[in-house]
Amino acid sequence: MGYEINEEKVFNSGHAACPGCSEALALRFILNTLGKDAIAVVPPSCIAIISGPQPLSSMSIPVYQTTLEASAASAAGIKRALISKGNNHTNVVAIAGDGGTYDIGFQALSAAAERNEDIIYICLDNEGYMNTGTQKSSATPSMAFTTSTPAGKLSPKKNVPEIMVAHNIPYMATATTGYPDDLARKVKRAMEIKGGLRFINILTPCLAGWGIPDSAGPKTSRLAVQSGMYPLYEVENGESYTLNYGPNGLSVADYVTTQKRYRHLLAEDIELIQAEVDHSWERLQKKF
Amino acid sequence: MSGTVKRVPSIWTTGSTDILNTGTWRSAIAVHEKRPAPCYGVCPVDGDIPVWVQQVRNEKFKEAWQTLVENNPIPAAIGRTCHRPCEGACNRTDFDGAVSINALEQYIGDMAIQEGWAFPAPSVELDQKVAVIGGGPAGLSCAYQLRRKGIQVTLFDANPELGGVLRYGVPEYRLPKKMVAAETQRIVDLGVEVVTGRKLTGADVEELERDYSAIFIAFGAHEPKRLSQFSKNDKRALDGIAFLRSVRLDAPAELGRKVVVIGGGSVAMDVAGSALRLGRQTEILALEGREVMPAPEDEIEDVIEEGALLIDGAMVKTVEDVSGRLLLHCIKVELDQNVLPGIIRPIEIAGTEFILEADTVILAVGQDPELTDWKDRVQVAKGMVKIDEDYRTSHAGIFAAGDVASTERFVSTAIGDGKRAANCIARHLGQLVVVEDAAVETKEVTFEDINTFYFPNQEPGERDKVDADVRIAGFAEIRLGLSDEQALNQAKRCFSCGSCVECDNCSIFCPDMAIIKDADAPLYYKVLEQYCKGCGCCLEECPRGAMGVKEEKK
Amino acid sequence: MKADSNRLLLSGNHAVSHAVKLVKPNVMPVYPITPQTPILELITEFHAAGEMTGEIMTMESEHSAMAAAITASLTGVRVFTATASQGLLLMHEMLHYAAGARAPIVMFNVNRTLGSPWGFWPDQTDSLAQRDTGWIQYYCENGQESHDTTLQAFRVAEQILLPTMVIHEAFYVSHSMEAVEIATQDQVDAYLPEFNPPHRLDPQIGESWGNTVSQIMFQNHRRDMGDAMERVLDVAKKADQELEELVGRGYGIHEQYRCEGAEFIIVTMGSMTGTARDAVDELRSEGLPVGLLKIKLFRPFPVADVREILSGIPKLMVLDRNYAPGTGGILYQELKAALYGLEGAPEIHGYLAGVGGTNISPANIKEMVHSAMGEKPVAHSVWKG
Repeated sequence: MGYEINEEKVFNSGHAACPGCSEALALRFILNTLGKDAIAVVPPSCIAIISGPQPLSSMSIPVYQTTLEASAASAAGIKRALISKGNNHTNVVAIAGDGGTYDIGFQALSAAAERNEDIIYICLDNEGYMNTGTQKSSATPSMAFTTSTPAGKLSPKKNVPEIMVAHNIPYMATATTGYPDDLARKVKRAMEIKGGLRFINILTPCLAGWGIPDSAGPKTSRLAVQSGMYPLYEVENGESYTLNYGPNGLSVADYVTTQKRYRHLLAEDIELIQAEVDHSWERLQKKF
Repeated sequence: MSGTVKRVPSIWTTGSTDILNTGTWRSAIAVHEKRPAPCYGVCPVDGDIPVWVQQVRNEKFKEAWQTLVENNPIPAAIGRTCHRPCEGACNRTDFDGAVSINALEQYIGDMAIQEGWAFPAPSVELDQKVAVIGGGPAGLSCAYQLRRKGIQVTLFDANPELGGVLRYGVPEYRLPKKMVAAETQRIVDLGVEVVTGRKLTGADVEELERDYSAIFIAFGAHEPKRLSQFSKNDKRALDGIAFLRSVRLDAPAELGRKVVVIGGGSVAMDVAGSALRLGRQTEILALEGREVMPAPEDEIEDVIEEGALLIDGAMVKTVEDVSGRLLLHCIKVELDQNVLPGIIRPIEIAGTEFILEADTVILAVGQDPELTDWKDRVQVAKGMVKIDEDYRTSHAGIFAAGDVASTERFVSTAIGDGKRAANCIARHLGQLVVVEDAAVETKEVTFEDINTFYFPNQEPGERDKVDADVRIAGFAEIRLGLSDEQALNQAKRCFSCGSCVECDNCSIFCPDMAIIKDADAPLYYKVLEQYCKGCGCCLEECPRGAMGVKEEKK
Repeated sequence: MKADSNRLLLSGNHAVSHAVKLVKPNVMPVYPITPQTPILELITEFHAAGEMTGEIMTMESEHSAMAAAITASLTGVRVFTATASQGLLLMHEMLHYAAGARAPIVMFNVNRTLGSPWGFWPDQTDSLAQRDTGWIQYYCENGQESHDTTLQAFRVAEQILLPTMVIHEAFYVSHSMEAVEIATQDQVDAYLPEFNPPHRLDPQIGESWGNTVSQIMFQNHRRDMGDAMERVLDVAKKADQELEELVGRGYGIHEQYRCEGAEFIIVTMGSMTGTARDAVDELRSEGLPVGLLKIKLFRPFPVADVREILSGIPKLMVLDRNYAPGTGGILYQELKAALYGLEGAPEIHGYLAGVGGTNISPANIKEMVHSAMGEKPVAHSVWKG
């Protein structure tokens, strides 16, 4: 029994992630699945901090730290350079936060998807600018507290997974750290599908930003899935949808009540979010 | 090309963070530890249930049996007769129902009989000899444990066959004789000298002391309690255990057309079930309400299905003899809550009087040990042999356990007491006996310690039961043993509370890669102190509470 | 035109495209903007025709173009891109990033006015505003120079490991047709060694770029960049000389025109130089001791050279086709700074001439010289033209 995950040691101990950090956990399965024939691009984010202080790196592959808005373009530049040298095997992966993906980096990402650049783009989505101390991004869900939305965010989370699907890229998947085998499998699948932009959105609960205990990252990530806030699915070529894990009867209340960023919510607020989640799930279900 | 030397830019990264010591961040470190499961905590024989159930899950059936018989040499019998406190305590109870531990025990016990698995011969043979008086559960258990240590044992029993209550009390439909025979024989085969048909009394002590280094008395409790309303000589008012014995000997006592069984324990249910099988209209009158009757709920359910009428929370006040029938004048009662545990004080509920008619009444209200012949040898208190915590009687070298010395009248309690008494006897004989008790250091695993995500809901699978109308036609066993598939499914349901099954979750969920598999580690894994930041993800993601936290002062 | 001749009638932009073709960059991220677009168009035509290989990346913005250029360069291949005006400004962040990354990208910039308001006119403010980004900057006055300087830029950039910007002005150079002598492939192959940096993004090497540094690491890194810039002066001179040996055309990193015995020197950058040359010729024929100093390599600024050349010259007139509100002409400021404390330093007239692409004729320049000769200079730039 237990998870079967094949790891090649690429992600190193001694990194600077907070104790219990979900991003570090995600990086572990991303990098250790990618293996050593890979180059990573990382924009400013906690991922950049986790990458290591000069002259040390937590990743035993070349990592290039780019600017916040440029991840997809930077990754594409590496890939094209490799191709120009006849190297078609090295995987190039951009690993960016949700601010760097949903907001400031979205233009470059959309363009790279349109050009169908042969890169893997992974968004470690912790639903806000957590590295700068919890500000709202367009990945922040409805009514969540951030320091820039102290009364709760008034608009829903941008549906970047579906926007990426609409680019007709060869592979789009959602994953999260509470399902590490599923996450690793999706990275593997992304590696298998060469010749286009492969996008994986990984929900990585931020312990400090969401207000959850150090040990609660994986558990909270599972609650997100089980409550229908964050279904796990994958789409090939913009049309072939597969559901991996959907809601299993837990409610939005089961999810939000474990997190301090939602502690200002009233019962009717939770009902509104529930209605939003139900509606999204209904729409998504039709695609499977 | 120019001869200018190229200067290397200054910030290419070449090192690895794994030289850093992030372990300094933490104030507590997770540790792998075996923690006691609640089933273990309540098991009368101290059975390591999570371990043998896991062995079943891994299809290591013989290993499972070996683990089982460490503490209980007769799993086929106990797998049918235990009162199952383990299932009551099971952390799965409030989740989707307890694991059917007892059925699994039967499965393994039956398999051992079918496969002819034998106990290994003792690794040493000692000269010391112990006389065990009584071949019931306590005596069998004690004899077995002593033999395993190489001590010579003679087992005396007044009956022609070993097994005690299992052989002469529990009805065939609950425990087939052949199972008792097979399991007792397996103990005998370990080199136990058996003397049956001989009832030893206090008068025999001197003789025994000449030949034996210690004596263990465990001949049970066979003196039935009576109710004053019924004359001791009235042939219409039978004793429950005598009746059951008559049925077991295939010479059932004569019963009238309508039988009223008085009592609320297992014996009462066995009596009622047997009467039903003998074609009698059967009613049960129990002092306690159904919820607090001493008999396990499934045994009550069985007899009701089979046609018995249960009248609970009531007692007989007076008996009237009307033209050969007994008229029982009864009244409903409540039990006084303001009494010490163990004391039962019924309070009559006025205006609830009713009458039951009976051709035969069978009293199953408990029994006491017969100690008349022993009183001058060992001290007796409250109708039982008085023993200390090491099962010592007042007479040096004489030990006692089981029903003769306890009010806990469960067969598995007797097995456990027999085992523990054997350890005390061995120590008394100068043997070194080390008993590992997992409960000493670590906290018992509670349901809150279980990460239920890893355990999908799966309804408990109990043994299939023969339909009531079929089963009252005879004394064939009413519960069918688990199929292989059922058994594996049950084993898979076990949370394995507090017992690492090497699922790797602790290692997989560590964001710092600070837990690695280590063949040399006592519990399979090593926590790398240089890296562990003390987040506790391993603890949280351990499905079964097999980890703990060690606070660290820096 | 003779069949075996390498002389083609080309716009300044296409002269650049031809140079790029010869250089054979591996990766070319591009994004259109007037008046740069013809550079990329001819490159993509060459590529489509199979005359060029390498990866063309049709980016969605100049910012992404530069982002891709940096990583491609750090992966160890030759990279070219081109831009202008607003596009260059959108790249601003990445210009610093490229220099910090020591990525030897070569970029061509076509000077164009910056909005707002919109305009399409020659004005050097766009590239001069990038003077602190750590890029080497060359300003060219015509298509031939742009062609040759582009070749030199790769040589210098890859040797120094700093990005290099080659610049000419909108329309006056970018779209003006002239006969341009195209270098041959053999010449360029002999001139430019393979670009094969020992440090690069390569899984076989495993080194990373850009991790967070300490204060002292950052300071040392900046100091290294400065040391590299200092070496550019010699490396660029040598690159110019060696190209001249191969193709017969050299420019120096600055040019003195008729400065023998001059008592008044006009200082220019870019297309204004040609106009000023005509003015100098006419003024000399009038008997006036006027010379011309063209600054070609603006970054690093050739301070020592300028101090040597201008020592003892009584008067300078700097013509700036750019304007930094609040300080005035940028070349004027740079020159003043370069000459500060020089014994016998010249008086300097700073004239803002041609800002926004207004036409400056030789006659205008002569008029400015005449008036400057009779005036004491003021301490700030003065609007002319």
